[in-house]
Amino acid sequence: MGYQARSAKSSAFAKNALLAAVSAASAGMAAPAHAAGTLAGTNITNVATATYDLPNGTPTSVDSNTVTLKVDELLDVTVAWRDPADVVSAPGLAGQVLSFTVTNAGNGPESYTLGTIANGGGDDFDPTVTALFLDSNANGAFDAGVDTAYVPGVNDPQLAPDGSATVFVLSTIPLLAADGNRGKVDLTAVARTGSGTPGTSFAGQGEGGGNAVVGATGAKAQDDGWYAVRKASLSFVKSATVADPFGGTTQGPGAVITYTLTATVSGNGSLANVKVSDAVPAGTTYQAGSLTLDAASLTDAADSDAGSFDGTAVSVGLGSVAAGTTKIVKFKVKID
Amino acid sequence: MKIWLALLALAAPAAAFAAENVTLSSEVFVERVKPGADGKPAVVREAPKIVTPGDKLVFELSYRNQGAQPATGFALTDPIPDSVAFAGSASPGATFSVDGGRTWGPLASLKVVKADGTSRPALPSDVTHVRWAFGQAIPAGASGKVSFRGVVK
Repeated sequence: MGYQARSAKSSAFAKNALLAAVSAASAGMAAPAHAAGTLAGTNITNVATATYDLPNGTPTSVDSNTVTLKVDELLDVTVAWRDPADVVSAPGLAGQVLSFTVTNAGNGPESYTLGTIANGGGDDFDPTVTALFLDSNANGAFDAGVDTAYVPGVNDPQLAPDGSATVFVLSTIPLLAADGNRGKVDLTAVARTGSGTPGTSFAGQGEGGGNAVVGATGAKAQDDGWYAVRKASLSFVKSATVADPFGGTTQGPGAVITYTLTATVSGNGSLANVKVSDAVPAGTTYQAGSLTLDAASLTDAADSDAGSFDGTAVSVGLGSVAAGTTKIVKFKVKID
Repeated sequence: MKIWLALLALAAPAAAFAAENVTLSSEVFVERVKPGADGKPAVVREAPKIVTPGDKLVFELSYRNQGAQPATGFALTDPIPDSVAFAGSASPGATFSVDGGRTWGPLASLKVVKADGTSRPALPSDVTHVRWAFGQAIPAGASGKVSFRGVVK
């Protein structure tokens, strides 16, 4: 190993070591932690050096030829649905928003064609996709009038390696969807340079003049986003009890009939503007002040409380009623 | 090769004498696993027409002593290229550096100083240079090859 001291003195070797040290330092600084690895178009250059002694004992060196490889562009993409849970909606609602993230998992800048699949099966209904939007202001939330509508081939998102974009899918929920139904829309993203079987290459179409090569994802990806329908429904039951003036239940003049109107909201969500009304039957007279809601008295006047009697019918406004709630309205009439 | 030598001689007359004695060439291959003739996966070496991150590369150095005298004190040094991680496999006799060529040794003997000042054992991916120092002179007319493996980062 005595030669080591000699070659260390060799100016050629020292220069080589210095160059190597510089390149190692720059590699340390420049090494970006790209998930997809070395950026497309980067050159890998290899030169080896032989050092030896000339016959007269003088150390010398000779460099090899330089081999330069250009790193080709891997085409890879991932799509991920980013809503934390099913997007809750209801039949007939338009503009229902699903959010997705499209990420360039390759090592070169790439544009992606976006699309949707709403009839992929495996769900209870097919949402009607009405538009795709790009998150123009990059705030992660859909902003009507701010975010840009996506037009395939016109504003396909171009992403840097590791770069991602948020995409919104707007759908209308079909009227026939029932409570508890789930419907999905897939967002698809396909690399514009090309896609297909991993390993498929497109000569000269990579970043920096290299080739483009389809990576493990096939350069296309999709993910399911889900809507869940919450629908409430109302059932309504009317019953009556009779009390005659003699303590019995005979229906005759002077007997008082108590009507019970039971409104039950079932399913999920709530119903808005629920109103219970019932006409006072012919041949009977409404008993003033007999109107109750859940056993609480209501005045007959159309005032701040929920109930009223307008001379022919009672009416109780229940407002918004949540599913799982039962409201009981009672009133009394006397048989003429 | 003669043209190349001539060019080298023109470009660096001082090295011409050396070049007449020892030549060194470097080649790079990609190793891929493909179905072999028997249908089983087999490792094949290909010319690096397509290179992407994760590809396994083989760097092969071929030397020849073309002079009339033995070449003594013979050593081959190859800096690991940027964007390549040494993959832990090299021809026998290799020593390594993880500090840009300042210190050398078997990989197991090398340490890397971390940001907090403590050090850890070096990993193959820390290697910056690989070197083969030949204990014996290369006889006149003799030739040989060494190689190491790397992975495109």
